[in-house]
Amino acid sequence: MTRYDSSGNYAPDSFSKYRRPRRPLSGWGLFIGVVLGIAGGLFYAWQVNPRIEFNTEPWQLNEADRANYMIGITLQYSYDGDLSTAVNRLLEMKLPGDPIQAVADTACRLATTGYVDNSSGVRAVRSLMVFYQLQGRKGCADTLVTLSDQLTPIPTIEAATPTLRPPATKTPTPVPAAQSSPTAQTVIIPTIRPQADFIVADVRTFCSTKFSGVIEVRVGDYNGNGIPATPIRVRWENSQSDFFTGLKPERGSDYADFQMDASKSYTVEVLGGSDPSQPLVAGPCTDPDNGQAAITSYRVTFRPA
Amino acid sequence: MLRFLISLLVGLALGAVAGLYLGWVQFPAQFVNSPAASLGERYKDEYTVMVATGYLKDGDLGGAFDRLKILGVANIPAYVQAVTERYISSSRDASDVSYLVVLAEGLGRLTPIMEPYRQLSAPVQP
Repeated sequence: MTRYDSSGNYAPDSFSKYRRPRRPLSGWGLFIGVVLGIAGGLFYAWQVNPRIEFNTEPWQLNEADRANYMIGITLQYSYDGDLSTAVNRLLEMKLPGDPIQAVADTACRLATTGYVDNSSGVRAVRSLMVFYQLQGRKGCADTLVTLSDQLTPIPTIEAATPTLRPPATKTPTPVPAAQSSPTAQTVIIPTIRPQADFIVADVRTFCSTKFSGVIEVRVGDYNGNGIPATPIRVRWENSQSDFFTGLKPERGSDYADFQMDASKSYTVEVLGGSDPSQPLVAGPCTDPDNGQAAITSYRVTFRPA
Repeated sequence: MLRFLISLLVGLALGAVAGLYLGWVQFPAQFVNSPAASLGERYKDEYTVMVATGYLKDGDLGGAFDRLKILGVANIPAYVQAVTERYISSSRDASDVSYLVVLAEGLGRLTPIMEPYRQLSAPVQP
């Protein structure tokens, strides 16, 4: 069987593209179209009609507002002394390099501008300074802004009164035969007994018609394991109630709760082992799930001091 | 040639859809140098609590007012009141609520729902 046809041409191979039906679309045309389309789509989405800006994070702020946000962080730190929260917030700002040194640099920049022309600005810069100085950093603001409102005292120099040299005595001063060596002083460093075994680690409110006006107490150890049978005392007005953790095992061995009356103020403590909590007010609230009125409830967590 | 043009148009359509998805959903444009007015609500709330805490520390109401101006709200006392009441009704941290109540009170916006949380007071400025 010959592969030459009647016209004498050599017949193409059965796998040749001349024997296959033509594809409806051109591969190259499709490829070029997709590339151009993606480029055009991205240009439109990023430049012509970008998504509306919302939910901006602190790291995206402009320089002036970033400085203001930083001042907010250090102002809160100056009140509550919570270094961990302050540093975490600074980290969220994605500051280049050492975030605490960035605070010092910001204070420096503000101290050299009109920002410190009023007392509010001076206070703000001072809060920045206190924060970074406590962390061992330095900045030019240290020399430009004082940390206190008091004026720097003007030193007074008292001229020394000249005294005449006493005339030499004819009799020499006797030299003592032996000098007693001083006894080394014993330094006693007092150890301070911990003031409390437990501290209030966290107080959170919640609003629920199911658990209305409840103080939920949890007591745990350093590892977060619950401590059962811990005596808890709740005080209000001239009354008090004592109970123990672990009496509701379905809620956990570290759990105890107390039902409050509306509009009264309560404190909770580990009996004989902690200071009382801040006042917990049984105020009105609205359950976010069903919109019904309820009494504010609290979750109080105690941890070892 | 017609086949090539049709392919090009089909490719353009597919590519445009893919480009818009990437540009709007997968890798949306990220803004920098933004004003504080565009901060997300969470960060605006946190900043307001920070300013309230600063007021609690120094009693400088004017300073607190100036610091809140950057949030670009039209009525700062009304904004502080709204944030405070939202914190109370959504059962947020009790300390934050008490800080905000102090600032709201300083701005003359103490409402009955805030009364139970008046546990702190700002220092009087000299």
